[in-house]
Order: sequence, then C-alpha cells, then structure tokens
Amino acid sequence: MAANIIDVDHVSIRFNLGNVKVDNLKEYAIRRLKHELTFQEFLALKDVSLHVKKGESWGLIGTNGSGKSTLLKTITGILRPYKGSVKVRGQIAPMIELGAGFDQELTARENIFLNGAVLGHSNRFMQEHFDEIVEFAELERFLNSPIKNYSSGMKARLGFAVATMVDPDILICDEVLAVGDVNFRKRCNARMRQMLSGGTTLLYVSHDIPSVRQLCDHVLWLEHGEVLMEGDPDTICEAYLERQDKVYSFRRKIMEDREQMERGKHVDYLVVGAGLFGAVFAREARRAGKKVAVVEKRDHIGGNIYTEKIANINVHRYGAHIFHTSNQKVWDYVNQFADFNQYINSPVARYQDELYNLPFNMNTFSRMWGVVTPDEAREKIRSQIESLQITEPKNLEEQALSLVGRDVYEKLVKGYTEKQWGRDCKDLPAFIIRRLPLRFTYDNNYFTDRYQGIPIGGYTQIVEKLLSGVPVLLNTTWQEYCAKHPDCYGKLIYTGPIDEYFGYSLGRLQYRTVRFETQELETDNYQGNAVVNYTEREVPWTRIIEHKWFEFGKDAQGNEIPGTVISKEYSTEWEMGMEPYYPVNDQANLALYQKYRALADKEKNVVFGGRLGTYQYYNMDQVVAQAIALCEKELGRRIVIKKKHS
Amino acid sequence: MNHLKYRVKTFLKYKDLLGELVVRDIKLKYRRSFLGYLWSVLNPLLIMIVMTVVFSSMFRKNIENYPIYLLTGRTLFEFMRLGTQSGLKSVLHNAALLKKTYIPKYIFTVSKVTSIFVDTIFSMGAFFIVMIATRSPFHVQLLYLPVILIQLYIFTLGVSFWLAEVNVFFRDIEYIYRAVCTAWMYLSALFYPIEQLPHLLQIFVKTLNPMYYYIAQFRDIALYGRMPGIRIVVGGWIWAFALFFFGLFMFQKNKDRFVLYL
Repeated sequence: MAANIIDVDHVSIRFNLGNVKVDNLKEYAIRRLKHELTFQEFLALKDVSLHVKKGESWGLIGTNGSGKSTLLKTITGILRPYKGSVKVRGQIAPMIELGAGFDQELTARENIFLNGAVLGHSNRFMQEHFDEIVEFAELERFLNSPIKNYSSGMKARLGFAVATMVDPDILICDEVLAVGDVNFRKRCNARMRQMLSGGTTLLYVSHDIPSVRQLCDHVLWLEHGEVLMEGDPDTICEAYLERQDKVYSFRRKIMEDREQMERGKHVDYLVVGAGLFGAVFAREARRAGKKVAVVEKRDHIGGNIYTEKIANINVHRYGAHIFHTSNQKVWDYVNQFADFNQYINSPVARYQDELYNLPFNMNTFSRMWGVVTPDEAREKIRSQIESLQITEPKNLEEQALSLVGRDVYEKLVKGYTEKQWGRDCKDLPAFIIRRLPLRFTYDNNYFTDRYQGIPIGGYTQIVEKLLSGVPVLLNTTWQEYCAKHPDCYGKLIYTGPIDEYFGYSLGRLQYRTVRFETQELETDNYQGNAVVNYTEREVPWTRIIEHKWFEFGKDAQGNEIPGTVISKEYSTEWEMGMEPYYPVNDQANLALYQKYRALADKEKNVVFGGRLGTYQYYNMDQVVAQAIALCEKELGRRIVIKKKHS
Repeated sequence: MNHLKYRVKTFLKYKDLLGELVVRDIKLKYRRSFLGYLWSVLNPLLIMIVMTVVFSSMFRKNIENYPIYLLTGRTLFEFMRLGTQSGLKSVLHNAALLKKTYIPKYIFTVSKVTSIFVDTIFSMGAFFIVMIATRSPFHVQLLYLPVILIQLYIFTLGVSFWLAEVNVFFRDIEYIYRAVCTAWMYLSALFYPIEQLPHLLQIFVKTLNPMYYYIAQFRDIALYGRMPGIRIVVGGWIWAFALFFFGLFMFQKNKDRFVLYL
C-alpha cells in the first residue's frame, strides 16, 4: 500500500477562551490578585483522524465553526495539535486566504516576489516564473502600481496565480474562490483540475456543495469539531444538505421565537438546555399558563436523545436510546407525543468470531459451553468461581471473576470494560461493578421493565412537540443570554453541568465520554442487529449501532429502507470541551458534587435538574419522572395525561 | 542533530523571504520621502548639533570631542532602541499572515531588526561626516567597528525575540518597555561622562548595563584610538549571546501558542 501523503491521527485542537479577553499585563495582574482568572477550554477539533492518499481530492464540509478551517490550518502547520499527530509528506501550497501577506504599499511586481517568498520560493525561482504569473493574473498593465489601488478581484487573481504557479504536492484551498468574476472562477477550476490530473492532492473547503461534488472524490463532514461522516461525496453531500434543510426549516420556525427572545422579555421560567428534562418542564409550565423560554447551547433541540434522518434512517446521534419503563404514568406521558414500536433490546456481543447473546443468559451459556439445562450452567459457573478462590476482590478483575467465572469474564467483560475505562481491569477499582446479573432462562430481553420501545420516526419529534409554542433560542449559552438580558427570568431551570453554573469555582467534575463515527453503507444489512458489542480489547470501538434495526428496517410507511447507517462507538477519555456523558461515580467526584450541591441549595430562584444538573446518570424514563415531579411541585398542579385510544 | 538540520533547512528555505522583507522595509521607508537617504544622516546630525549646543559647555572639561562622544553612544543606543521596539511588534504586526500561512515566526523578528541594522549602517554616514568636520584622526582601530556592530546586532536580536514573545500575550509591554528604554538611555552615559555618576551607580552601569560594553568599545576605537580592553570585549560577547539564547529559547518555547493569542 502506498504511504499516505497526509496522516492526521486523533488530533485535538484546544483554545483557551478567557471569559474576558486578558491581553495586557495590568489586567492580568489585577485579575490574578482577585482570582478572577478563569479560562474555558474549547476544543475546536476533537479526536479527528484523516488519511489522504496521493492524488486524492478531499472536500471538507460542515457548518460555520465546525472546524474545517482549523483542520486545514493544522495540516498546514499554522496550528499545532494539542493532542494527536499530523504528518505531511510533500510540499503544501496553502490558499487559506489569497494574497495573505501582500503589502498594500508595494507594487504588484514587488508583491509577487514577496508573496512567493512567503510561500517559501526562492528569488531565482520567482524570476523564472514571473512572466507566467503575470500572464495568468492578466495584470500586465498594472504591474507597477501599488496594490492598494487594486480591486479585491484583482488581488485574488494575483494571489491565486502566485499560489498555483507551481504544481504542489498538496493544494489546500479554503473557500477562496468566492471572489472574482465567473470567468476567473472558471479558469481557477480549470487550473485546479489540471493540477489534480497531474497528481496533486487537494483539500478543499467550500460551502458550495456542487463544486465539492465536482472536484472531490472523497468528502469529510465535520460538525462541532468532530467527524460526522466520511466517504463518497454524493451520499455525504446529500445527507449534509438534508440536514441543512431540516435545520433550516426548523430555524425558520423558531425565527419568531428568536426575535421574541432577543428582546429579552421577562419570563417566569428560563429553561437552560432543550433536552428531555427541560422540554418536559417547559411544556408543563406553558400549559400552566406561565411564561417560559428555553436557551440551548447546541444547534438542535433534544439534547442527547436527538435523532436525525440520514438516508431515511433515524440516526441516534448521541448513541443508542431505548425507552423502557415500569412507570405507568411516564409511559402514558411519552405516548402522548409519539407512537412507540415493539422494539426489544437484545444486544449481541462479538468476541473474535464468536457471537453471544446479552444479557448473560442461557443462550449465552449454551453457546459458550454447550450446556443445556440451567443446572448445568450454574454448576459450570460455580466451579469456575470456586477454583479461583477469591475472597476479597482487590480490583475490578477479581471482582468480576468472583461473580461470573473465567470464561464469561475473559470473553465478554474484560476487553469491553477496559475499552470503556481506557485502563486494565487490574487497575480499576472493584466497586465499578457491583453485580453482574446472570439469568438462567432463555431470555434475551435486556431490560426487565414492563414497557419498552422506540418512538416510530425518532425522538426529535417528541421534543419538538413538547416545545411547540415555547420560544427556543439555539446556539446560545445561558451565560451569554443572561449577560445580555439581566433580570429576564423569575426562576431558572438549569439542566447544564452544575459545576459550570458555579464557574467551576470548586474544581471540575469528571465524566466518561463516548464518541461516534457514523458511516453510510451501501449494504442493506450490516450486522443484523441494532446493537453489537465488541468485547475484544483489540477492536478499537466498543459497539456498533446499526440504526435502521431500531425501527425494524422500515420507514414510517412500512416500506423497507435500502442502504444502512452505522455508528461506531468509541470510549474516549473526557476532557474539557467534550460532550459529558456519564458522571464518574467515584468518591472524589461525588464529594465534589456534594459541595456544589450545598452551593446549589443556597441559590434562590434556581432549580437544578437532569443528568448534568444533578451529576447522575439517568435513563430517559427517570428523567421524565423527575421532570414531572418538579412540575407538580413547582407549578402546584397535577400533570394530567391524555390517554390515547388505540 | 536531525532537529538542527531541519531548522537550518527551513531557515535556508525562507532566507529569500528574509531578504524580501528587509528590502521591503527599507524601500518603503525611503520611497516616499523627498530627502530619502539623506534623512538617515541628517536626523542624527541635527540632534547631535542640538545636544552639542546644550551640553557641550557643561561637560567640556571632561570630554575632548563632545560631538563624537555623543554620536558614538547615540548611534549604538538608537539602533538597539529602534531595533528592539520594532522587533517587539514584529510578531503581532504580522498576525494576519501568521494566521493564514505557515512561516517560521522568527523570520519577522529577524527581518525587523535587520532592516533597522541596515538603516543604522546607512546613518553611520553622519558619524563619518562629523569625524571629518571635527578633524578627528581616523585611527586604524576603527576597522574593529564591524565586530562591535555584530555583537550589538546579536544582543538586539535576543532582546527582540523575548519582547516579541511576551508582547503576544501582554500587549501593554510595548508601553512599559518604552519607559524602560528611557531609563536605560539615561543610564547609558550617552551625553555625559560616566565619571559624573555616583560611584555605586557607576559600578552598576559598568557591569550590568550591556549597552555600556558596546558604547565603551566604540569610544575606545573612535575617540581614543586604542583597542578596547579585554573585559569589555569579552563582556560584550557574553551579553550578546546570553540574551540571544535566552530570547530565542523563550520565543521557541511559546511560539506554538502564539497563533491562539493573535
């Protein structure tokens, strides 16, 4: 295999965003003394990998601020990765801005030499190619006038001519051709295609999707600094446009909300976070006749239960979400907003080429040892546990061994747990696993709750319905909003991280996080099950989710969906700026949470709720139950549920 | 070793850029002024005349050729002051470029100091005019002058690296440094004989003020026609390289973070 020309491996780029920009010594000293020097880390790229072979042309797409330019700058060497590595084998011609480094006072002639030197060309080389450049830029007549008199189009022409004068190994092009007339753009495209056929590798950033499809043979879709999808231009561009459309239409719908909210009108309740908890509260508050508004940091509603349609499949963007509950009221409540299907969660574990049913039940044991009756299985496990003679487990490995025996541990627990925590089981504390339920029935149903299912058409609709009539402001942190509109609320319902609310003044709570790589595939059936756990340590991902099987491979009308979308789930060590998923329930973190809790109790007019607000992992039904309880307490009325007649 | 080779390779790749940047600075400086090069010479001459008129009667007894005494000190100090002050801004001023393309960042600092250096050499004309006008003898020791200039160039580069680096993070360094420069100037015995200072301060200046080493060397060869003493020669080199390596070290240590603060 030919070596890649660009290798970007697990790169993260971190910016320190000071809450207030401190760029002088005086302010620094003052804030230092007053202990006001706080920074907010912001990850512009999160664990991004990209491998480009010689001669390929890659398009980078994504909304503004998704990290496209940051990635290009990292490859060019302008930014250094904070984590991960970048290797480039070849000469780069960067066109991140055409004519960067032109000196306005100098003439075009002088600028050609200066710009050439900026790109690392020697003087002699520039002399040899001088005529060529002038010819391409069509600027013979103005060579000796200062460049400040040039139009922006002329400057772009000159910049392009200098940058592309030589066939580089890698051409990097960041939305620079937007200026210039049609004629010039055509010639630029022609020149770029000529270079491509000459073996130049292209990295191309543009919001102009047709041009991406035309020029590129691969596409990388970035969103919020993460790779959302990569591969064939047509499928990915379509998925991208579809999402844009959807986001756009939703945006339009809430445009009025935005206007209303930007006026900062006083509301009874300001809800921070448009996740499940916030949405339930917002709906009930509105129904109780209160004025309520929601601010959400992300560019979509729904928090982590957000699903979006890719290739007609509802993709669980933040991991598999399966609704299950034994709480009649909660079940009735959510059924007001969607029809739930009969999905039963029965994941499969893959160890090398062996497949086992989860949770650990008779199917699992029978496959593993060929046992038939429950007694045989019990005996097998008992003898395995006994032979180990562990009395007091010192670490997670011993704990797990003493619960399930060697075989189940080695094949199904060890690798998976190690990937989850990024450490050897021997180095993990025993308390992480309190019990490992073993079932001695042939029952693959993961959950034991009375009700279980997936909303047909995805989860987003539920939140949309919950929030209908409630003004929502996306892409906005509550700090920003409240700074702009002080005294805009009577009470704050805060569902963000509790430590963030207090400005991390006591330190930071830790989380475990997961990351998804989503791919669209040609095949109709990739793994035959919605969730497959990979329990070997050597396989880098922990699970693969094939989203279509949550809805039995059918669309809303009941037709078979062609193609499939899978998400590989990886566990990554959490750092500031990443999505927090699971609270870490060790003593240090819980003790810290208790301290924040004490602060929170003193806050008047603020209610902390949800997974991040109370630093605890909840299933969806628990969140709903909590939100309903809060509503009843806060609004002083019982939540009445309209029963559906089916 | 490989690392060093890589460094040298990048430097060679961008040496023409360094040339272009220096040429640009010089060109732009003289392009639109009517008197052009003459200014470089005239400016120190005029200031010298003013200062001579004011101070020479004060210090006549101690200093035999006041104009030369003044010019030797001032030429070197002005080079250091202008060099570091524009070196200080070098990284920040090229922020737009540094954010858009990869260039070794020190190129800008080196180019700024170098163009001031070239400018200083131009303005040396004033010094020679005054030498002739005051009928001072041209000692053969004057051939040593380039060595002093090189020492000072290295010293100035070092200080500039450091300041340029700090200035990225703290923008008010520029103003603080200006004040420092003024104090530094008065402590450098430019226009008064150093013997006029109180004893303790004299010792302080003679040992801890790097500029003193360069100025004293220059005065030795230009004014007194003798080779400078071993102490100030070695001291001059030590100061130059100490600051150079310190500045470069600080600069390189933080250069990857620059772009985040520009």
